[in-house]
Amino acid sequence: MRMDRGLFCENTSRKVFLLDGATGTELQKRGMPAGVCPELWAIENPKALMGIQEAYAGAGSDIIYTCTFGANRIKLDEFGLGDRTVEMNKRLAQISRQAAGGKCLVAGDLASTGRFLRPLGDMAFEECVNVYKEQVKGLLEGGVDMFVIETMLDIQEARAALIAVKESCELPVCVSMSFDESKRTLTGTDPVTALITLQSLGADAVGCNCSTGPRLMLEIISMMKPYARIPLMAKPNAGLPRLVDGSTVFDMGAEEFGTYAEDFIKAGVSLLGGCCGTSPEYIKELHHKCSGLKPMPVDCKPYSALTSSSKTAFLGAGLPVAVVGERINPTGKKKLKEELRQGLTGEVRRLAAEQIENGAHVLDVNVGMPGIDEKETMVKLIELLTGMAGLPLCLDSSSPEVLEAALRVYPGRALVNSISLEKVKLERLLPVAAKYGAMFILLPLSDDGVPECSEERCGIVEEVFREAVRYGYRKEDIVVDGLVMTVSSNQQAAMETLKVIEWCSRDFGCATIVGLSNVSFGLPERGWVNTAFLAMAIDRGLTMTIANPSSEVLMSIKMACDVLTMRDANSMGYISHFTSRTGEAVPLKTEKDDRTLERKIYDSVLKGNKEEAVELVNTAIRQNMPASGIVNDCLIPAINEVGVLFEQKKYFLPQLIQSAEAMKAGFDCVEPLLIQGGEGETAGGTAIVLATVKGDIHDIGKNIVGLMLKNYGFKIYDMGKDVSAQRIISEAKRTGAKIIGLSALMTTTMVEMREVIRLAKEERLDCRFMIGGAVVDEDYAREIGADGYSKDAYDAVKLAKRLAQR
Amino acid sequence: MKKCGVRRMEAAYSRIKYFESIPSTPKKNMILTRIGYKKGVTELDEHYMKMLEDGIRLGEALCKPMGAYTRVPVQYRDELCVRLEGGIELQSGSLSKLLCSSGEVVLMGATVGKEVCDRIEYEMANNNAAMAVIIDSVASQTADSCLDWMVHFLNSALAREGIKLTRHRYSPGYGDLALLYQKELFNALRLERLDMSITEKYMLVPEKSVIAIAGIEGRGFENG
Repeated sequence: MRMDRGLFCENTSRKVFLLDGATGTELQKRGMPAGVCPELWAIENPKALMGIQEAYAGAGSDIIYTCTFGANRIKLDEFGLGDRTVEMNKRLAQISRQAAGGKCLVAGDLASTGRFLRPLGDMAFEECVNVYKEQVKGLLEGGVDMFVIETMLDIQEARAALIAVKESCELPVCVSMSFDESKRTLTGTDPVTALITLQSLGADAVGCNCSTGPRLMLEIISMMKPYARIPLMAKPNAGLPRLVDGSTVFDMGAEEFGTYAEDFIKAGVSLLGGCCGTSPEYIKELHHKCSGLKPMPVDCKPYSALTSSSKTAFLGAGLPVAVVGERINPTGKKKLKEELRQGLTGEVRRLAAEQIENGAHVLDVNVGMPGIDEKETMVKLIELLTGMAGLPLCLDSSSPEVLEAALRVYPGRALVNSISLEKVKLERLLPVAAKYGAMFILLPLSDDGVPECSEERCGIVEEVFREAVRYGYRKEDIVVDGLVMTVSSNQQAAMETLKVIEWCSRDFGCATIVGLSNVSFGLPERGWVNTAFLAMAIDRGLTMTIANPSSEVLMSIKMACDVLTMRDANSMGYISHFTSRTGEAVPLKTEKDDRTLERKIYDSVLKGNKEEAVELVNTAIRQNMPASGIVNDCLIPAINEVGVLFEQKKYFLPQLIQSAEAMKAGFDCVEPLLIQGGEGETAGGTAIVLATVKGDIHDIGKNIVGLMLKNYGFKIYDMGKDVSAQRIISEAKRTGAKIIGLSALMTTTMVEMREVIRLAKEERLDCRFMIGGAVVDEDYAREIGADGYSKDAYDAVKLAKRLAQR
Repeated sequence: MKKCGVRRMEAAYSRIKYFESIPSTPKKNMILTRIGYKKGVTELDEHYMKMLEDGIRLGEALCKPMGAYTRVPVQYRDELCVRLEGGIELQSGSLSKLLCSSGEVVLMGATVGKEVCDRIEYEMANNNAAMAVIIDSVASQTADSCLDWMVHFLNSALAREGIKLTRHRYSPGYGDLALLYQKELFNALRLERLDMSITEKYMLVPEKSVIAIAGIEGRGFENG
């Protein structure tokens, strides 16, 4: 008889279940050659597989795994066996059932596909779910008693497999992740985050296997235990792998392995087995050591937590007020609207980065606007933010359809914004939120609207919660929104909201949240009202706020409130918040304001302030300062000083560029006067043709050189990139250029420089050649007959000046 | 025989793994070094601090780090040449030396996408060269850190099989591994799938893209 979930829960609370040990290495011991498909080999050699599984059952395993670790379509495709997925899984399950002989349970084994899901990889979530569903179908046909999803390296793939099982049958399903020495999965999920995500999604047991020996795995289990509402499982390797003569061996014998059994059970494990390097002998040892031991009760304190794929945000009493960043919302944001319409994501990335930097704990994502496919956009942004943010998300939409699509692909435990007593929300959204294990914001309003008084709102909270309990929700899984109305139309509104918050915190016992901006609508200087209201709400026990974390006043008050309400232990958050605001900037020393106008012009170039340079030079002209004086006493000394500072590394490239641009801008103002006075240009207007040679497409270095030369008074003819020798020579002839500057960044294209010089000589062109680029140097310049090489943009200016004088 | 070779190639292609969003973070100190910043020497006022921060943030927002890798068995190796399954033959003494204990290699490719490269050109063309060089530096550094991330990721994955990557990796164009091999490695990784292309002179487009090869050392074991 197959096990059902209730029975599984009951049995694992009464007895420690022993799992099996390694299958892959045991098959190798029984003759499986390297490089073959293990599943096919096992089907073709059933006696070998049965021998292993009978040995495990005989050693004391209560559950043996089917030999289907790599029997999903993607893995089987690598051996050209993808089309046999269902048949092979069915057969392998049948072999295991035969081996079990009714003495132990058979768990259908699902493991990684080896491909990566979006946003990290290229596999769509639904494709992955379907890959697992196909395997589950075969295993069910073969008669497995339960499922185990094991050695998972990616939480999103584990979610896909879990959803596949849960949508295919009612059998118990355990999920076992693989954590390495950093105590994270390959894609960066920590044990607590994995546990909370998977148990919220409905796993019947969660744990870890492979990658580590018993010692480290004990630490991982101990991290999970305080948050586990379900049984924990562990299948460690036989110690740590060592490379001996090019082969991997494990350093722990069966007897030593067995000594960890009691520690695992005390740490909270109810299902225990072995992974790589273990054998029936190891399971026998575990069986011996576990006899008479009972599992620890599943007993964790209530907690509220949201997860992303790599982080958990705990919420609630005694913890700092969590800030839900509100900025990813197109309302009132023209640029964001425009980008969302065009399918671009730059602004979303910018807003996300800014909010994270300013201390948001959760990011709200709302893409409700006309002219876009809200569902598609929401899914796209979840993938984007999952890849870049690391923070849990608050999925914000009025459409149950959008939220369902979002929850399915969200790789953690999300916060749904929001569910109220409105019929459509209760009937359609609540079951969906429950299916994906999400927390939700409870809006105390109904189809009749928002009640004005707090008592009515509290009544709605109780009513929605009663409904939520039917889906397995507990008080710690909901966050009540106090619903802030504007005080400019009803001055009592804020107090009513505060009463709801206080009631939830002190009497009902759940988390609370408020959006702040509504309260001050219609008033001047709204920030003060919002911030004061936040402080009052925190005093009443507020858990979270939806706000703009870039507001310095608001964040500072929040940090201060956390200290005063004893939510910030030892004021560490407060201290860190304020110390992080002092940058590393080394202030540039400048003269006081009693500087002369000449000095101010000089400084404006030194600082690279183009606007100031123009303004000051024009002032000097109005004051009849001689044009030659402005150039020779201010602009040129300043840019020369910039060059020195650049060479001394006191200036970096952007400063050099901006100073040169400031100098050029100032020079442009004074140039007409110089020409009138017959005083000419600084570099004599020497013409230079610049080009990145044929076949080469890199040109930023050449562009910077061109810009610098132009700012130093050279006349530049920039031909761009991928330019043939013939075109360069023609342009030099046409412009009467005295210098040709060539750039190349690759070994395959630097040879083109030689060709340009050869052709110039052939056509008797009277020109100097300067070269630059990552792969060339002084020697190469000499070798190909160039007149010089410059290592950077400023060096190019100096070289051009020298060449111009020849 | 020919059919068999095609099937082998197809099987190899089915083993290419693509990353559409690599969570790599460029090292800020390396971004600064690329644009001539020297810690403790370079003096930045508030204006430049802000410009730098804005530029780095913008560059990071515009980069879309993607990558691909595949494992390919080494078929033959002598002092000057390495031949991979599927027919890629790489003439390089230093690469051969690197792979002296490897029965298998990993081919890797990474890019930061077109958008950031377009933005560099845009800033350059709109008299904002200082911003262009900052974004350029972020993009270059992000492309490098994509490969670093992939190496770290692969090492974590390979450790589960009891094997690891060689300490160093090689890119065509470095040492005696000619740039022309970029084309074969590009094809083996099917990088056009990441919207990349390669020019006649073996240059990768978008510009901020990289290809590398590393060896796998040790003999693993069967998981599960």
